[in-house]
Amino acid sequence: MHALDKKLLRDFRRLWGQSLAIALVLACGVMILLTAFGMYRALDDTLEAFYERNEFADVWATAEKAPRPLLSEIVAIEGVQSAEVRVQEYLMLDIPGRAKSATGLALSLPENGEMPVLNVPILRSGRLPDPQATDEVLVTEPFAQANGFALGDRFDALMSGQKRTLTITGTALSPEFVYAIGPGTLMPDDASFGVMWMPEHMLAAAFDMSGAFNTVTLSLSRDASEDRVIDALDDLLSPYGGTGAYGRVDQASHAFVSTEIKQLKNMATILPPVFFGISAFLVNMVIGRIIALERAEIGLLKALGYTDLHIAAHYVLMAGLTAVLGIAIGWVTGGLSARWMAAEYAQYFKFPYLIFNVSYDAYAISGFLALLTAAVGALRSAMGAARLPPAVAMSPPAPPRYKRTLFDRILSRARLSQPSMMIWRSLFRWPVRAAMSTLGLSLAVAIMISVGFFSYSMDKISDIAFNQSNREDTVLLFTKDRALSALEDVRKLPGVMEVEGELYTPAKLRHGHLEKQLSIVTRGPGATLARSIDETGHVVEAEGTGLLITTRVAEVLNLSPGDTVEVEFMTGRRETHILRVAAITEQFFGLGAYMTRDEMAGLTRSQPQISVANITHDPSQDMAFNMAIKDTPMISGAVRVTDMKASFAATLDENISIMNGLFIIVAVLITVGLTYNSARIQLSERARELASLRILGFSNWEVSYVLVGEIMLIAALAQPLGWLIGFGLGHLMAASFTSDLYNIPMVLPPAAYATASLVVLATAFTSVMVVRQRVDRLDLVSVMKTRE
Amino acid sequence: MAETVFHTEKLVKTYHTGGTEVHALSGVDLDLYASELTVLLGPSGSGKSTLLNILGGLDHATSGLVEFRGRNLTTLSDRALTRYRRDHVGFVFQFYNLVPSLTARENVQMVTDIAPNPMSAEEALARVGMSDRIDHFPAELSGGQQQRVAIARAIAKRPEVLLCDEPTGALDSATGVQVLEAIREINEDLGTTAIVITHNAAIQAMAHRVVRFQDGNISSVATNATRIKPSEIVW
Repeated sequence: MHALDKKLLRDFRRLWGQSLAIALVLACGVMILLTAFGMYRALDDTLEAFYERNEFADVWATAEKAPRPLLSEIVAIEGVQSAEVRVQEYLMLDIPGRAKSATGLALSLPENGEMPVLNVPILRSGRLPDPQATDEVLVTEPFAQANGFALGDRFDALMSGQKRTLTITGTALSPEFVYAIGPGTLMPDDASFGVMWMPEHMLAAAFDMSGAFNTVTLSLSRDASEDRVIDALDDLLSPYGGTGAYGRVDQASHAFVSTEIKQLKNMATILPPVFFGISAFLVNMVIGRIIALERAEIGLLKALGYTDLHIAAHYVLMAGLTAVLGIAIGWVTGGLSARWMAAEYAQYFKFPYLIFNVSYDAYAISGFLALLTAAVGALRSAMGAARLPPAVAMSPPAPPRYKRTLFDRILSRARLSQPSMMIWRSLFRWPVRAAMSTLGLSLAVAIMISVGFFSYSMDKISDIAFNQSNREDTVLLFTKDRALSALEDVRKLPGVMEVEGELYTPAKLRHGHLEKQLSIVTRGPGATLARSIDETGHVVEAEGTGLLITTRVAEVLNLSPGDTVEVEFMTGRRETHILRVAAITEQFFGLGAYMTRDEMAGLTRSQPQISVANITHDPSQDMAFNMAIKDTPMISGAVRVTDMKASFAATLDENISIMNGLFIIVAVLITVGLTYNSARIQLSERARELASLRILGFSNWEVSYVLVGEIMLIAALAQPLGWLIGFGLGHLMAASFTSDLYNIPMVLPPAAYATASLVVLATAFTSVMVVRQRVDRLDLVSVMKTRE
Repeated sequence: MAETVFHTEKLVKTYHTGGTEVHALSGVDLDLYASELTVLLGPSGSGKSTLLNILGGLDHATSGLVEFRGRNLTTLSDRALTRYRRDHVGFVFQFYNLVPSLTARENVQMVTDIAPNPMSAEEALARVGMSDRIDHFPAELSGGQQQRVAIARAIAKRPEVLLCDEPTGALDSATGVQVLEAIREINEDLGTTAIVITHNAAIQAMAHRVVRFQDGNISSVATNATRIKPSEIVW
């Protein structure tokens, strides 16, 4: 090994504290890049492979009851590659050993006993039901696992009012249900919702669908126009109660998974540059200082005949070693966290396999970027060192030129103590460095705020969703829309206290060229269980003629109160009406539009109807209530809002505390990286100054004040900037998480700012106090003797 | 007559500091010969160090000519000067300039790693009597020992010229003598041309020739008829 390389390694070992502090910040960037990019790639690849291998459809449409021969017309639509029709129905399930009911989505299998052509389920165990059998089903694997089912186990299903006992012949996963969410729920619950496939004749017989279908799925040819196919399909299905065809974008499972993939991609592109930027600055600061200290050695190396390249490479390599350390830490933690993330995703997304090609390119890219960061950080100083003429390098640097500025006059007026004066002077002597340090620390604050707001947002979401808007205990879903009198039957169920009905009507809303498909919810007057809340937290009701729309719908369609919107109903007479937007309501899940029962009845010139019943019930009669709804033919499912609220809180609490914890660590690492290095450099630059103060009779603490004071002053200056950047970054994060599925409100109480500031200030103080100990150990005599 | 190693004509070096011009060298004409030990004497700021830096390729002249064995140094690029230093010149400085994180042996290896035909680090250290402290770090060596390591480092490449800027400036007389002894031995045993800058007039007695500087110019050149050993020098 060359002597210069030995010097490199020994210097690196000597500077391990500073190197480690930088390496950890760099490691954060590498880790996040690796995790987010790796997971993004893994999910994207897996999804793509699963979709391709299992023929995921491009377009879906449902109708009430369409004749099978219509299929040939559907296939003939230009751009359709293949089409398949099926019967699908929601079933109320009674699972042995489970008090509460569950919901099943039953899909018919082709009569020939083969797998479907599109959305092909992948068999995980057992076999397909016998096409002739009358009690066999294939169920989704997570549903079987969550309920402890083995092949051959049985459960009951209410099919069109008839209780049938079904036998499980196999388990499967489907590209259509990677994210399987039950009707009316917010989160997957594998135990209470499952998809099941059964022979067509079973479903057709039970639901009077012989020779008919109610769902069609299409795949399109490569150059097809999805919009045109959807329009053509809507035209074909409208006589049969078609409720509007939609593409992958609006397919529930795909929408959730692709939103998640998009978020990972955002995370992989937004956050790592912050860490790499800070690392580059730290490397620049530290290498710059090392070079200043080694000026004489650089001169010597040049005198000995080492070339500029040798010398520049020596210092870039020193930064490179730090990068290697950071990469190593980042790779290890990134690998672990990617594995952890994969396990997290496996809870929500049901893939038959995960193509986790420990994407070597993610490792390569993150490693390359980390090395590049270090090189960029070191290069300027290193080149400067290399360019120093040897004779200049060997003489001590000229003292910095001080000029009396306006600032100095202000300082003198302020009558500050000498140590305070030293702090302020130094800040203005190295304005760029002070500004960069301030910016770096403000990013630490900002990162915490930008993530910390989630827990407050979720509290608000939970409060608005469950305490203000949806105050029912349970939502009972009817098998089909019913007359208001159905509420009386519901009222008779054991323990039921309050009952209110709502009607869901699929519709297309248009404003100018903007269009959105959603369900308009119709409520009775004075509904107290499910209601809408405006931005000020007050209850709003649609009065007379007018539509309430949620903020997300208002944004997407560019609507304000008082505007008119074109509403095309997708059921019944399929009429189009022009309605006025009465008010905007706050709702954080999905899209929503609301109107009164009377207005809907007037528009459709029909008797008021309901699709669901919202109820509250007496908990002491839960058993009897659960038993009763399992045997009520008109109910296809029950959504326990109270359970949903609990699982929402539990899931988010866990995820948010992990995320908050992670980002606190990240903010701490950034702060340590910046303050520890700044303090070490301050101390090194000021060793003589500080020793002089000691010799003049200042106490250790008075001298330490100069060091601690400057770092803490920078940290304090960083706070307001950090709040501002955090506010902006938080908005960016909230916006990047907002989709038709969720709307994340930005809630930032003073406590969020205070927490972030407290963490950063406390960390900064601790780091600088660690360095401060060196002040006590300053060897006054030798410091004054050193040449620099 | 011995071969001319260095030849300068009307050598000028001007520094610009804070708007004022400082003439460090104002027209120096000098020839230095092979295997000669020359002492440059003179007060601070008289131009000795500037001349040494230019001869060693550490600095550029403002005008005039410098030749090393007939090769014009004033026209060389930085890269060529680096090559020249690496192949031909050994330096010894007042403040040793050892790399603190490297042992004595490794400090010498810094040179043997890049020189074309070096002696081993062990041999170089043996020549200056440092064989027994070969694996010590600079912090574990006395000033004189550090300076001897610096000399070992300078001679390890078998340089044609050894340029010493105040080699004994930071040392007491006893250690100073040891260092001068080492320089004399190199000059005599290896035939290396040695140029030694000093403030200390007593050292001139060990030189073949003594060049005195005053205000950026040579005030006198004297040849010693008889030379004395460093151990006989008293200061």
